[in-house]
Amino acid sequence: MQLDAYLITDEPYYRAIGDEVSLFEMAYASRMPMMLKGPTGCGKTRFIEHMAWRLRRPLVTVACHEDMTASDLVGRFLLDPSGTVWHDGPLTLAVRHGAICYLDEIVEARQDTTVVIHPLTDDRRILPLEKRNELVRAHPDFQLVISYNPGYQSVLKDLKESTKQRFGGVEFRYPDPAVEAEIVSHEAGIDFGLAERLVKIGQRSRNLKGHGLDEGASTRMLIQAGRLIAKGVALPAACDVALVLPITDDADIRDALSQAIAACA
Amino acid sequence: MPADPKERTSAPEAARSEIGFSDAERKLKAYLTALWRLHPVMRAAISAPGQSPPRRVTFDGGYIRVPQTYADVQGCGVEPIFRAALAHVAAHLTFTRARWQIGTLKPLQIALVSLIEDARVEALAIREYPGLNRLWAPFHVAEPTGALVAEMLMARLARGLFDPAYRDQDPWVSKGRTMFFDRRLEWENAAISREIGTLLGNDLGQMRIQFNAKTYVVEPAYRDDNAGLWDWSDTPPQEMEDTDVVIESFRVRRTEDESEPHQRRRSQDNDTGAGVAARERPIDADAGVPVARYFEWDYVLGRKHADWTTIVEFEPRRASTVGLDRLLSEYADVENRIRKLIRSTRVARPMRIRRRPEGERLDLDSCIRAAIEYRGGITPDPRVYETSEMRDRDLAVLVLLDASESTKEFVRNTTTTVLSVERAATALLAHAMEGLGDPFAIHAFCSNGRQEVRYYRVKDFNQPYGAAAVERLAGLRGGLSTRIGAALRHAHSEIRGQQAHRRLVLVITDGEPADIDVTDSKYLVEDARKAVQELGHDGIDVFCVGLDGGGDSYLTRIFGRRNAVQIDRIASLPDKLPALYLRLTG
Repeated sequence: MQLDAYLITDEPYYRAIGDEVSLFEMAYASRMPMMLKGPTGCGKTRFIEHMAWRLRRPLVTVACHEDMTASDLVGRFLLDPSGTVWHDGPLTLAVRHGAICYLDEIVEARQDTTVVIHPLTDDRRILPLEKRNELVRAHPDFQLVISYNPGYQSVLKDLKESTKQRFGGVEFRYPDPAVEAEIVSHEAGIDFGLAERLVKIGQRSRNLKGHGLDEGASTRMLIQAGRLIAKGVALPAACDVALVLPITDDADIRDALSQAIAACA
Repeated sequence: MPADPKERTSAPEAARSEIGFSDAERKLKAYLTALWRLHPVMRAAISAPGQSPPRRVTFDGGYIRVPQTYADVQGCGVEPIFRAALAHVAAHLTFTRARWQIGTLKPLQIALVSLIEDARVEALAIREYPGLNRLWAPFHVAEPTGALVAEMLMARLARGLFDPAYRDQDPWVSKGRTMFFDRRLEWENAAISREIGTLLGNDLGQMRIQFNAKTYVVEPAYRDDNAGLWDWSDTPPQEMEDTDVVIESFRVRRTEDESEPHQRRRSQDNDTGAGVAARERPIDADAGVPVARYFEWDYVLGRKHADWTTIVEFEPRRASTVGLDRLLSEYADVENRIRKLIRSTRVARPMRIRRRPEGERLDLDSCIRAAIEYRGGITPDPRVYETSEMRDRDLAVLVLLDASESTKEFVRNTTTTVLSVERAATALLAHAMEGLGDPFAIHAFCSNGRQEVRYYRVKDFNQPYGAAAVERLAGLRGGLSTRIGAALRHAHSEIRGQQAHRRLVLVITDGEPADIDVTDSKYLVEDARKAVQELGHDGIDVFCVGLDGGGDSYLTRIFGRRNAVQIDRIASLPDKLPALYLRLTG
């Protein structure tokens, strides 16, 4: 198989919040295209890695950006001494060989780019490569998954209605404090009580969402802070390094956040 | 060197030399939001001339007034006192659920009940945030010595209740502490504060210790004056800066009890009683200046009535922006998003333009395509260059607000009026436009028959969007009718003089055109349609945002299907309007 390098061999840790694992399995059974919605650092990518491992499928991940063209997904002709050679893009690779293709932050891509996935996401399941004059029929194992973060995108950036309506959705949010503490404690290797305090701090920073911060501290950030603490850094310093400084450049908000952390501990 | 006596009279000026509340306001606001999810409106309290500046924080609902400086606090930094004060108010806002009736309580008892309540909410807050202990502790400086006067004893009690390690032999203080700490399990219940405070007040009374409510200042300094804990309804209310908000909402409620505005207009056709007219004029009575006359289009006759309508310009009243600020703080999220959008659209960005027959660089994709076509035996596309171009904005906008009677109605399931939402949306939009550097004007209109189409200039093209403009925006009041055609014609003459590539009139209205001297509902619609067409002839775009769920038919008739949009959920207007604007003009 061509995509062996994309297979995930060790189980990625994932703590289910609801029934998303079984729902996703059902969706995969019918190869339904899925969208994962939720704020940054809440576990979308970890979830899809876990599912790829569970379903034993290779996972091809593409991080979308605003300069991405359709060729970046589908593939392009390159020039070589003898002329041009076709090079499959990541999407084509996944379609041909039956991988799960994960388009991360899909709304970042230009809208004219995202329409290439349309024929793949209805019952046709085909990918026309117009430049090669080829029609690739999707491998039976192929599934398309996209992720996007509804809050952080600007009002002008949104998925086209015709794109949206092709997907089933799974919503992610920051888990309940107890569950989040469990995750932080597991991932960072710190005891539960400390993880609980970090989660409390994280929640305070989420209160500032829209009032100085675009997004509160994610679970990922809390885990990073936890890892520093596990290495022997004191809690305020660890929060400073892992939370306060990266999250904003605004001195006032940084100060407020540091003070809020001081109040929590 | 003593300052000029003039300068000493006003608190903010005296405070200019040192760091005051205003410098730290943003930090403190974020602090409260982070810890308590509170978004209060905070203002530096300014003393009236001749009065001494307020020494303590005072709060009333979500409205907090903070002294610009704390003159009587020494030895600690400036910011900690503000932070401690606001954390204390936040504890009240979180744990003091209802206001107390004063009933038969004496001033001393009121002060003591407040003191116990302060200790109670702080204890609860520290339970949740242990770090607050470190914040408040430095301000508890009372010592178990000194004269037995009420103020001193109360400061000692305050310390005793806050700091379990504090030693004080005074029997009254000890009693208060025992009563308070014995009921540790009932701290969630605010009633214990009243109970303990009343008892302690009786004791102090029996000890014949003097208490002067007039000179009493709450200690320690970070605590608030406790006015917000009590229901002062039977005493004359303190003059609030936002009384006009209160009055406005009261006025709206009253008119709702009366007949519907539309019916009222109808009734006036056959009944010209002075009572009705008086009710129709809650708007400012300042005299306006007639500035222009316009024709009106009569669709029945198929011709114009020359000089039919008179535009009367009024100076909009200025009002405090507290209410507007409060509403805007609810949309802080939106404001942030808009600010970010602006940041990305404001600068004239170089745009990369590909597939040009000539340009600065080779376009690699086109080259490859050309090479492929060449090898495939097809004539290659010669457009293989790419170039960059600066895209500039050149746009003038006039926002025309409908301020008719119907905008005084409440938005469904809320306590805000349509006009308040319009104002908030306009304020957000104005932020956006100011940030983009687009010249813009904000005007409002309502009408009282064809002889008096009122026109308010909130902001003109040549004025900056500053505090004065916001105050005028906040001062807009709803009233009278909607004669939109005449207003559009006046807006037309205003925007015509603007030298911009694209000119846009953005109308925000909530109701069908109507006026007291018109019975045919189609007449004003057709006239407005004509006015929109005239604007179109001059190359001026008109776009309308309708706030009336059922307004589809006439708005489409006036503005055309593509130039009108309906917003069903009025509360979402502030969210939608700037986005819409950017899409229209981007």
